[in-house]
Amino acid sequence: MGVSKEDVEGILTSAMKPTHLQVVDTSGGCGASFEIEIVSEQFEGKKLLERHRMVNAALAEQMKEIHALSIKKAVTPSKWNPIPKVQEE
Amino acid sequence: MTIAAVASLSVVRLCSSTRNPAYSSFITATPRNFRFPKDSRSLSLVRVSSTHKIRLSPYIVRCSATQDGELKSTIDKVVNSEKVVLFMKGNKDFPQCGFSNTVVQILKSLNVPFQTFDILENNVLRQGLKEYSSWPTFPQLYIDGEFFGGCDITLEAYQNGDLQECLEKAMCS
Repeated sequence: MGVSKEDVEGILTSAMKPTHLQVVDTSGGCGASFEIEIVSEQFEGKKLLERHRMVNAALAEQMKEIHALSIKKAVTPSKWNPIPKVQEE
Repeated sequence: MTIAAVASLSVVRLCSSTRNPAYSSFITATPRNFRFPKDSRSLSLVRVSSTHKIRLSPYIVRCSATQDGELKSTIDKVVNSEKVVLFMKGNKDFPQCGFSNTVVQILKSLNVPFQTFDILENNVLRQGLKEYSSWPTFPQLYIDGEFFGGCDITLEAYQNGDLQECLEKAMCS
C-alpha cells in the first residue's frame, strides 16, 4: 500500500499550517508520486531550496514509499498568485 | 561483484597517460570482470560480464558501504570535479526518467558543459547522495560544488533567470 493523498495533505497541514494546499496523486491513485502546491507563512524569508527542503522534511517518512515528489509551488501568502476565478454575477 | 568486494571509494578521471598514479591505482584495484581496451588513451571502459558488455562513462565512481567519511569525501571530489554536475537516472544521451530528462534538456538548451552520473548504476552512490545533499530524490544538480536543486527548482530557476545567473557566476569563477 502506498501513501495516500489524504496522508500527504494531513501531514503538510499539521506541519506547515498552509493557507493553500493542493495535492495531486499523479500516479493514478497508487500513491507513488504526487504534485504539491503549498502556500504557508512558514516560508517567509526562506530561499527556494530551503522551502523545498521544509516540505521534504515534513514528508520524510512518506518519502521512503513515494517514488517522486513534484513541488510545483512552495511560496508565502504574499507571493501566491492564484489564477483568478471568473466573477459570478 | 558485491559492494563489499570493492575496497575503497574512488573517482578516477581516465587520462591519456598510464603514468598517472590515480589511473594506476585504479588498475590494481580493478575487479577481474573489467577489461581495459589496449589503447590507454581511450576514454571509456568496457565492462565484460557473462551476459553483456556495458560501456561506462569516462568517470568511474566505485563505492563501498563501509566508510562514511570516505564516501563523503569522494562525493565532495565528484561534485567539484566539474562546474556543473548532474546526478540523474540514465545519462545525458539517454535519460531514463522524465524529471532527469527535463534538467538535461534545460542544461543543453543553455549550452553549458555539464557532467552526468547515472545513479541507477550504483546503489551506494545513490543512497550516499541522498544523505550528502539531504535530498530524497533524483535528479540532483550541483553547480560549482554546491547543491542547486532537483527538477522543480531547476525548472523554476530557469524560468525566472536565476539558473542562468548562477551558471554564469560559476563559469566565470
